[in-house]
Amino acid sequence: MVGASDPLPGLLREFERRHGGVRVTSEALPWTADVQHQFYVINLEGRSAGFDVLMLDVIWVAEFARAGWLLDLSTRWLPADRREHAPATVEAAALDGRVWAVPWVMNVGLLYYRADLLARHGLAPPATYDALADQALRVLGAARDPALAGFVWQGRQYEGLVVNVLESFWAAGTDLLGTDGRVFPDPGRARAALASRRAMLESGASPPLVTAADEELSRREFGAGRAVFLRNWPYALPLFEAAGSPVRGKVGIAPLPGGGALGGAHLGIHAGTPHPDLAWRLVEFLSRPEAQRAIAAATGLHPTRPALLDPALREIFAGARPRPVTPWYQTLSATLQPELSAAIVGVKTPERALADAAVRLRYFLDPAR
Amino acid sequence: MSGDRPLAVALLAPALVALGAVTAYPVARVLALSLERRVPVFGIADFVGLANYRFLAGDPAFWNAVRVTLAFTVVSVALEVVLGVLVALALRRQQRFRAASLALLLLPWCLPAVVTARTWEWLYHPTAGLVSRLASPLSGPANWLGDPSTALGALVVADVWRTMPFLALLAFARLGTIPASVYEAAAVDGAGRVATFRAITLPLLAPVLLVATLFRTLDALRAFDLMFVLTGGGPAGTTETLTILAYRNLFQTLQLGVGAAVAVVLFAVVVGVAWAYLRAIDAGEAAR
Repeated sequence: MVGASDPLPGLLREFERRHGGVRVTSEALPWTADVQHQFYVINLEGRSAGFDVLMLDVIWVAEFARAGWLLDLSTRWLPADRREHAPATVEAAALDGRVWAVPWVMNVGLLYYRADLLARHGLAPPATYDALADQALRVLGAARDPALAGFVWQGRQYEGLVVNVLESFWAAGTDLLGTDGRVFPDPGRARAALASRRAMLESGASPPLVTAADEELSRREFGAGRAVFLRNWPYALPLFEAAGSPVRGKVGIAPLPGGGALGGAHLGIHAGTPHPDLAWRLVEFLSRPEAQRAIAAATGLHPTRPALLDPALREIFAGARPRPVTPWYQTLSATLQPELSAAIVGVKTPERALADAAVRLRYFLDPAR
Repeated sequence: MSGDRPLAVALLAPALVALGAVTAYPVARVLALSLERRVPVFGIADFVGLANYRFLAGDPAFWNAVRVTLAFTVVSVALEVVLGVLVALALRRQQRFRAASLALLLLPWCLPAVVTARTWEWLYHPTAGLVSRLASPLSGPANWLGDPSTALGALVVADVWRTMPFLALLAFARLGTIPASVYEAAAVDGAGRVATFRAITLPLLAPVLLVATLFRTLDALRAFDLMFVLTGGGPAGTTETLTILAYRNLFQTLQLGVGAAVAVVLFAVVVGVAWAYLRAIDAGEAAR
């Protein structure tokens, strides 16, 4: 876990005290999500898994469940308990009418804005991406500062780009997957949403560096006072408010138009565990309110129970939406990344990019039905 | 002589078994895998014949990866050879601090690839990077890794910086073995610098350069780390090499059949290039 002080060892020792004779060892995962995924696939596919409880990125739960690697938790994690958690986190844990993992820590995409600059123009945080682009141009036009940029987001060719475009899809009233499992259920709206992202770069509402930006690059630009708006995860807020930060006291937060993508992690149990009951007790223990509160205090990773959230964040977290909950999410995302990037940098029209992605996805996904 | 045969076979056996286990078997497995639709995570394993290859043949992303791989290889290796020879010649003429120059020259070659890639990531950073700052009076704020027209060039520069020392050092060592008397004879004959270089230095360097270029070409065809760290294949797939495409299919989407087919194509290209080089080297030896 990240953070100033890792709360996990303390929690595990407490669990051991409560369960005499049980020893829990934790294994640190590789740093990036892609490599973690690879680590799990190799260990679980190779049947050499040396673990009972696993931390899962929200986007893997459906895939791992379909692969048969996760214990069905439907009879252990009861509906009454599920209702304590944010609906998006429960949605991400479900596949085929069953639940496969328990929400542990929650993340959601949100809009950071420079409250001082918006106030100077009498602007309220925007409710649509068009308004966001307009406001950015207006503030930039008045500021006449070549070092200041408008709306900074994640446009590098990677998972983050898929997340950003998906959030635009939602604001445009469509999704990546339809309820019937079809890719791009409303191609017209998807094209328009993608085109509006490209338009931000063309109009100057977003700076060129967006096409190379990941979370950290964009966070640093805003944190150095060089941007009016930023789309990022909640981890950035304490960094902006830290002593010595150039934007301290000047940052406002708002929900993204259309809602922010759900991030964070769930806890699942390996289907082949010799100790399912004990593993469940550990999952329960690590995800109960006291543990979530301790993790939040030490790391800035937020609880999945709205009741435990800082009231200032509650509205933003309530708008969280899961990325498409499908076993094929990795295929979907990895196939889309180069195509979305091509549309963002203007090499392809949105029509062409989405059509090319659809051709490839048909080959990958269709025979699986 | 024939009495030694059983002994020879016995002595060779361990090496042959080891090579078979670590080379021939995996290659055969990948070939077989490329004929399947295989997604092990979901228990999918169907024999589909050449369907994966047909899919690749009709997929613009595959041909894009072929182009990117070849462009990256040709440009970066050519620059490395030319710059490497120039640096070697300069080093030969250098009188003082030559050891220090050699040590500095070797530094990039010694760094782990990912460290190099991370360093260049910061150098190319759009607002804080040294390269962007130095170039900005000419080009304005530059977005080297995020612009489809510059991303591949930026990777080539990083690759040349990292591997040119290898060629420079080999050329430098070879230059040291050319007897001074050869040059003296050329000078007596009134040959100028260019003529001396073309008639003496280059022909004597050629065999070494050919072998070094073979190594570098094979490395460049298989390049992965720079793209993986710096661009992830983007923007718009402009830095997506065959290795990145294979990785995407093998490890991200877990479409092992398609990924294996990409790997087989890359394997065929590498074998073809190696064969062509070895023919050229043989021809050079025969001519001597």
